[in-house]
Amino acid sequence: MDYFEPKSVAEALSLLARYGARAKVIAGGTDVMVDIKYKDEPECLINIKRIGGLRYIEEGNGGLRIGPLVTIRELETNRLVRERLPALWESCRQFASLQIRNTATLGGNICRASPSGETLAPLLVLEAKVKLAFAEGEKVEPIESLFLGPGKTSLGFNGLLTEIDVPYPERASRSAYLKHAVRGPMDIAMVGVAVLVTPDANRSAANDVRIGLGAVAPTPVRARAAEALLRGKPLTAAAVQQAARAAASESAPISDQRSSAEYRSWIVEVLTRRGLERTWREATGKEMSG
Amino acid sequence: MSITVSFSVNGKRHTASFEPAASLLEVLRDRLGYKGPKLCCNTGECGACTILLDDKPVNSCVVLGADAAGAAVTTVEGLANGGELHPIQQAFIDAAAVQCGYCTPGYIISVKALLDRTKTPTPAEIEEAVSGNICRCTGYTKILDAIRLAAERMQQGS
Amino acid sequence: MATSEYTILGKSVPRMGGVERVTGAGIYGIDLTLENALHGGILRSQYAHAKIVSIDTSEAEALAGVHAVVTAADAPDVRYGRTLLDRYMLAKHKVRYLGDPVAAVAADTPALVRQALKKIKVVYEPLPVVLDPEETMQPGAPTLHEDMPLPKNLPPDAKVKNVCSYTAVHVGDPQRAMAEADLIVDEVYETKMIHPQYLEPRIAAARLEPDGRLTVWANAQAPFSVRTDVARLVGLPLNKVRVLSAELGGGFGGKASGITSGAAVEPICALLALKTKRAVMIVLDKAEETIATTIRSGARMYLKTGVKKDGTIVARIGKVIYDAGAYSGFGAMAGARCTNMLGGWYRMPNCHIDGYVVYTNKQVCGPVRGPGGPQAAFAVESHMDSIAAKLGMDPVELRLKNTPGPGDKIIGVTKLRDVSLGEALKIAAEKIGWGKAALKKNQGIGIATGSWIESAGPGGGAVVKVNEDGSVTVHIGKIDMGTAPRFGIPSIVAEELGVPVSDVTVVNVDTDASPWDAGTVGSRSIIVSGTAVRLAAIDARRQLLNLAAKQLEANPDDLEIRDKQIRVKGTPAKSVALAAVATAAHNVIGEVIGRGYFDNEAMVAHEKEHGSSQPFAAHACLVEVDPDTGNIKILRYIAVHDVGFVIHPAAVEGQIEGAVAMSLGQALCEQVVLDENGRTLNPSFVDYLMPTINMIPPIETVLVPGYPGAGPYGAKGAGEIGCVPVMAAVANAVFHATGVRIRKLPLSPENVLRALRAARDTPAEKKGA
Repeated sequence: MDYFEPKSVAEALSLLARYGARAKVIAGGTDVMVDIKYKDEPECLINIKRIGGLRYIEEGNGGLRIGPLVTIRELETNRLVRERLPALWESCRQFASLQIRNTATLGGNICRASPSGETLAPLLVLEAKVKLAFAEGEKVEPIESLFLGPGKTSLGFNGLLTEIDVPYPERASRSAYLKHAVRGPMDIAMVGVAVLVTPDANRSAANDVRIGLGAVAPTPVRARAAEALLRGKPLTAAAVQQAARAAASESAPISDQRSSAEYRSWIVEVLTRRGLERTWREATGKEMSG
Repeated sequence: MSITVSFSVNGKRHTASFEPAASLLEVLRDRLGYKGPKLCCNTGECGACTILLDDKPVNSCVVLGADAAGAAVTTVEGLANGGELHPIQQAFIDAAAVQCGYCTPGYIISVKALLDRTKTPTPAEIEEAVSGNICRCTGYTKILDAIRLAAERMQQGS
Repeated sequence: MATSEYTILGKSVPRMGGVERVTGAGIYGIDLTLENALHGGILRSQYAHAKIVSIDTSEAEALAGVHAVVTAADAPDVRYGRTLLDRYMLAKHKVRYLGDPVAAVAADTPALVRQALKKIKVVYEPLPVVLDPEETMQPGAPTLHEDMPLPKNLPPDAKVKNVCSYTAVHVGDPQRAMAEADLIVDEVYETKMIHPQYLEPRIAAARLEPDGRLTVWANAQAPFSVRTDVARLVGLPLNKVRVLSAELGGGFGGKASGITSGAAVEPICALLALKTKRAVMIVLDKAEETIATTIRSGARMYLKTGVKKDGTIVARIGKVIYDAGAYSGFGAMAGARCTNMLGGWYRMPNCHIDGYVVYTNKQVCGPVRGPGGPQAAFAVESHMDSIAAKLGMDPVELRLKNTPGPGDKIIGVTKLRDVSLGEALKIAAEKIGWGKAALKKNQGIGIATGSWIESAGPGGGAVVKVNEDGSVTVHIGKIDMGTAPRFGIPSIVAEELGVPVSDVTVVNVDTDASPWDAGTVGSRSIIVSGTAVRLAAIDARRQLLNLAAKQLEANPDDLEIRDKQIRVKGTPAKSVALAAVATAAHNVIGEVIGRGYFDNEAMVAHEKEHGSSQPFAAHACLVEVDPDTGNIKILRYIAVHDVGFVIHPAAVEGQIEGAVAMSLGQALCEQVVLDENGRTLNPSFVDYLMPTINMIPPIETVLVPGYPGAGPYGAKGAGEIGCVPVMAAVANAVFHATGVRIRKLPLSPENVLRALRAARDTPAEKKGA
């Protein structure tokens, strides 16, 4: 096996150009190390941890600019993440053990593109943008378009994620991440739901509602039909229930040893409803009307 | 191919050569003879291989050995001061939190990281700190006793 | 019982071996490094049921750095098994589960081992796979073992196949009694297969010594059965095989019973060592263990119980279908225990239970922590609550109504001496606030009891050597894995010899030097080795006092040992140091060597005459059920146990707490999941969910004094019974919280939610029907 520790993005890109699909990029390594041990060893391992300037959390562009090598624990212990991006912060709090949070990186969680990736549904509802570097140049795209399927991203075999921009939601909005797993943080999510609600100035209707679903489709997805049912409307219990059902029918889960597809869709409904109830209460100081 | 990496373990400098895909756990156990971190699940789920990498607890089975370059590694072997056990080690013995003892080195490292962060951990902080350390023997009850005992003694001692 | 008459017993002295464990010393099997050793690995079947057409090892053997490849053809034509000899160490002719060892390799590096294993070409002819034992029993099912006859004791009208063992319990006239019952409750319960998942992987190492002997290192619970089986399987006499035990990082029965539990890792390693004439070490991967080593079997249990209106049980008729897996393993014994325990531990005047242990294409049943018991108790104690619900009776009252008393018999025990069951039950009910605690919505309390029979099994010995400095070296045949051998056993020796516990060393098992023993199994360490070391220490003390009597010119009967001094009772000034007496022994008898043993036949005879004092337990838990997700949160857990005289409280509590957590895993989430081809879907710890600390509340253990057992000082075993009541306690609490009875484990969120939804759709189900 060939092994490289590029010192710059350009160097990493030229290695990717050379090895293509035969190379594996490793950052924190909490997933890749397991693959190396239990699946076939890649021909080439490119360790990007020594690339300078990819590990920062900074305010800018009306939000947070986050370097892909930032660890989950660094996000979790960052005050701005906690205060301004609660859905992301809550996903980090429920992200495996402390040992893993100290090792795993945000970039790794994104590029792994696992449907159950803990931070992904939150980043979808926060409408994060990702900066992707290719030999031909850089491009910025909404994170949603990055995910093509389980383990597949638009980076292909020759791109590198270089920054995650997460705009601050409006001050009035609230967001949350709800995870359902047998062992809580210490388990892969059967379902993860991120919710963001922005009330109007009177706190009587929702100006904006965003719902992101994890572990219930080949990629993390937005439940846009459910969102549309609520946008611009007062969040009543009945409306929320209807939207939660819509979210469940927008999901396309599979059955595996963790749970059945049917159960997952039931849980999408429950978590969506609970997420909406909670964020509405937090954003407006009011319980949902009946 | 093999790579050569220098780092310190428990304050002692080491230079080791190994396959680039080797985990830090393999390097510590098989190259350098540190048997304190234990091999168990090998997938980052059980915490038996927990060490401190620059003062942060990590599962050494899912960390590249290469990533230890220039770092300070602390294993459970580095805690006792000569013949005197670290208060956490003593508390694990005194609270009967050591049955088979296989999870113990990882536990002690996770607890050390916790008590280095806070001298007065809340139950929630304790739970968070050691949720990644599976114990199959004790049912966790006496481990919680040991952690509280260690925290108490370290507060009194400081 | 008052413990004040003892200096050390009854106190939680620090565990022997604690310091090396907290400092990370390399004491475990997996830490073993043998100079110049080769690495070994095992090729496992990729089919759950297939004929082996051919095995071509030539490509693997041709690899540089590969020193040996072995298959069944390289081993003597000898089979092994605990009760039936139905298994080769390497599969011959057929494979019967996905994970069955087929070949093994010894090579210079682990990477080469992996490479060589891939180059072994096995041609299989797949056969139909059968996974459900009840289907496998049907006359039309595929045959798993062509040359194994059906059990001779099967009822003549039984039309079954693939049954490897049959047990019948029959008491009184259950058919007639059933006809006289006011209420009959008929239910079916089912548990799934779980893996013991001790944290330290299994290892084996073997080396051919210059004198032609074979040394085997194992992290096995029963080193002497490893010796027996290795010697037999490779064709050596016992004096040519030496087994050394490493420290064990957990076992729980998974590393017990020698070869039967370890998927033959020791004899395979021995075969490689004999072929290469080099030291060879095999380390199993945890994911490999999950699919290949022995497990706690699943059981399907039918039980129908007749009761009177006042709750008096009059009869039970039942059937157990116990999954042996691909080979008989420990199945016959665990299945028989499950069958007996399905009769319960209450008064049961009329009872008939058929127990079938059935081959399937799954991994093999092992003696995992209370083999057969937790399964049976899940059915028995859930069923008790179902009966209570139908009678409209308080479940605790129903149990008390049927609790046996001294002189009564229960299924499997002909005479009870004294019975702690009722007291334990009342304490558990009181502690949890049964009938009193204010419960929030979706909360419920569950209570369940359990018992365990520990009074049958082999004897065992102990040797206590008093060194010339007065320190003591103890040899027993039981290994330590966090149980009595390094907790209570040193205390017993220290107490009897008047020395501090720190002066006592219990050495690890070396079959060349240690007394024979069946191993650290069956909750019997304190009963067997505790009795043996006590008698050995008393024997050593007698020798010491005899020697000291000459020096002190006193009668040995007037002497005592206190604080390492042998002194005349009442005249402490007249004394001699223990060390001096032990040194003086050199010139007389050479060394003070005390010998003691536990005589199993004598105990059985004694209990037959005087009755036996079984350990009993009552557990209570408070749970909260999320009605939307089916998630169960355990808020409180109380475990009340009678363990007889308590030699080491913390050790006993630790055993109980650990057993409770393990069974909470089985109650809530643990299981080995297979697809329809018999492939394990959750081999690694990523997917095999055992409880983490955030799932388990602090377990409140209560020890009930006053019911002395068969062990030393009246102690009873405590290693397994903690597992017994747990699953039923949780299921009963869920029933209490929701009104829904779930009869199939695990109580995973999905299974619970499905049951809740089904009950909402068909409200009749709600009454626990």
